[in-house]
Amino acid sequence: MTVHNLYIFDRNGTCLHYSEWNRKKQAGISKEEEYKLMYGMLFSIRSFVNCRKDGFMSFHTSRYKLHYYETPTGIKLVMNTDLGVQNCRDTLQQIYSTLYVEYIVKNPLCVLGESLQSDLFNSKLDSFIRALPFFNIRAA
Amino acid sequence: MAIFSVFVVNKAGGLIYQYDNYVTRAEVEKTFSFPLDLVLKIHDEKVIVSFGQRDGIRVGHGVLSINGVDVNGKYTAEGKEIVEYLKDPANYPVSIKFGRPRLSSNEKLMLASMFHSLFAIGSQLSPEVGSSGIEMLETDVFKLHCFQTLTGIKFIVLADPRQTGIDALLRKIYEIYSDFALKNPFYSLEMPIRCELFDQNLKSALEIAEKAGTFGPGS
Amino acid sequence: MSRQSNRTTDSKKMNSELFTLTYGALVTQLCKDYENDEEVNKQLDKMGYNIGVRLIEDFLARSSVGRCQDFRETADVIAKVAFKMYLGVTPSVTNWSPAGDEFSLILESNPLVDFVELPDNHSNLVYSSLLCGVLKGALEMVQMAVDVRFAQDTLRGDSVTEIRMKFIKRIEENVPAGDE
Repeated sequence: MTVHNLYIFDRNGTCLHYSEWNRKKQAGISKEEEYKLMYGMLFSIRSFVNCRKDGFMSFHTSRYKLHYYETPTGIKLVMNTDLGVQNCRDTLQQIYSTLYVEYIVKNPLCVLGESLQSDLFNSKLDSFIRALPFFNIRAA
Repeated sequence: MAIFSVFVVNKAGGLIYQYDNYVTRAEVEKTFSFPLDLVLKIHDEKVIVSFGQRDGIRVGHGVLSINGVDVNGKYTAEGKEIVEYLKDPANYPVSIKFGRPRLSSNEKLMLASMFHSLFAIGSQLSPEVGSSGIEMLETDVFKLHCFQTLTGIKFIVLADPRQTGIDALLRKIYEIYSDFALKNPFYSLEMPIRCELFDQNLKSALEIAEKAGTFGPGS
Repeated sequence: MSRQSNRTTDSKKMNSELFTLTYGALVTQLCKDYENDEEVNKQLDKMGYNIGVRLIEDFLARSSVGRCQDFRETADVIAKVAFKMYLGVTPSVTNWSPAGDEFSLILESNPLVDFVELPDNHSNLVYSSLLCGVLKGALEMVQMAVDVRFAQDTLRGDSVTEIRMKFIKRIEENVPAGDE
C-alpha cells in the first residue's frame, strides 16, 4: 500500500499545494495544466453528484484510488493512493485541521489563496504522510 | 438495499439506454404565508431551494407544484415566472410542493456524456501506469459502478452504498445486452436500445440482484 | 482518535485581560490615527474581516460542525458554538424577521468592553465593530453574504449589546476562470 500524491485546492481552484511520493506516471502535461484538469474534474464530479452534505467521497479505477475531502470553506484535499487503502476521510481531515489550519491559516505571513510557500508546512506534511500506516514504499 | 438506475453509454459518450428502477420520491407540500422563508434559485431552468430547510424540505429540492398545479420548469402553469410570483404578497397564502427535481431526458443525456469525459480524465490523471477510468465512485448517498467493455461500451449502475454484487450484475447486464440487443438483427449498433426483451431481462436481473445481493459465479 | 489532544495551542491560555487591553490599545491608536469615528469603525471592520476569513478555518477544524443548510442553524452555531469557543459567552438568538433572514444576537456581557467608558467626543465610535467584520468574513468563507451591525451597545447606555445579522445571499462557487 502506498500514497501517490496529494493536491490541495482553494475554493477558486488555485492549487495551493502539491506533493508526490510514489508516483509512477506523469499526466504528460505541464503541472499547471494538470492542476486545472484535476480541479475541473472535481468540479464536474461535484455538480454531477449534486447532493448535499458530504457528497462525493472517493472513486477508484483499476490502478488507483482518489480520496476527496472538502471543508465548508471550499478547501479541497485530494489524495491518490493505491487500491488497498480504505476510507481516508479522517486522514484528510487531519491534514486540514492539524497542518493546514495550524501552519498556514494561523501564520499571518502566509497569504491565503496563493500557492503555499511554507517550508514548515511542507516538512510537517511530508513526515505526516510518511508516518501513515499505509505509507510503505514498494521498490521505490 | 436498492439499485437506483442503470445507464448504457456508447463509445462516443451517447446515452443509449436508461432505466430508473427504484425511485424514492420524497415530496413535501406546505402552505406558506408571506414572506417565504426559503431562498430559491434558478438552476437549469428549474426553481430549486438553495438555502433554508425545515419540515422535510431540503436544499436541492425543486418546486414541483404551486397550489396543486404542476409547474412548468421555472414558470407556473399560467406561464408566470415562479420567482416573481412568489415575491408578490397578493399570491399568499400559497401551497407549494417540494421534492427532488425530476431529471429530463435531456439532462440524462448530459450526465451520461459528462461521466464519459470524467471517466477519461480519471484515467489520464492516474499516478500509476495503465489505469482504467473511474470504476466506482462513492458518495454519501449512492455508489456509481461503471463497467467498460473492451469495445468501449459503458454500463453504469447507481446503487445504495451497501448494495453488494454489483460487479456481477454489470457483467450480467453486458450478457443481456449482447443477447437481446446485439443479437437482434433490427438493432443498429451505437443507437438507443428499444427492445422489449432487453427491458424484461434487465428488470428481472435487477430484481434478483436486489434480493440476493449477489449472483453466483457464472450465473 | 482525538484530534484535539495533539493541538499545541490548547494548552496556551492567554490572560483575557491582556487581550482586552490589547484591543483597547488598538482602538485608541486607530482613533488617534484617523480622528474620524466612521473611519475607525471601517478599519476595525476590515481587520475583523481579515481575522474572520482565517478564524473560520480554525473553527471548522476544531468543531465538528458541517455545512449549514438553514440560516437558523447558522444562528445557533454562531451563538452556541462559536461565541462560546472564542469569547466564552453564549449570546441568545432572538428577533427573527418573518422571512427568517434576519436575527439578533443578544450579548449579556461583551468581553471586549470590560474596562471601557466611551468618551463623549467619540459618540459615533462602534467600539466592538471588529466583531461584525469577523462574522462577515467567516460567513463569507462558507458561501453566505451577510450584513452585520450593532443595533444596541451597552457602551452607549443600552441595557444589552445587540448584534443584528441579515442574510443577503448565497455565494455560488466559482468555476475556474475561462482558460484557453
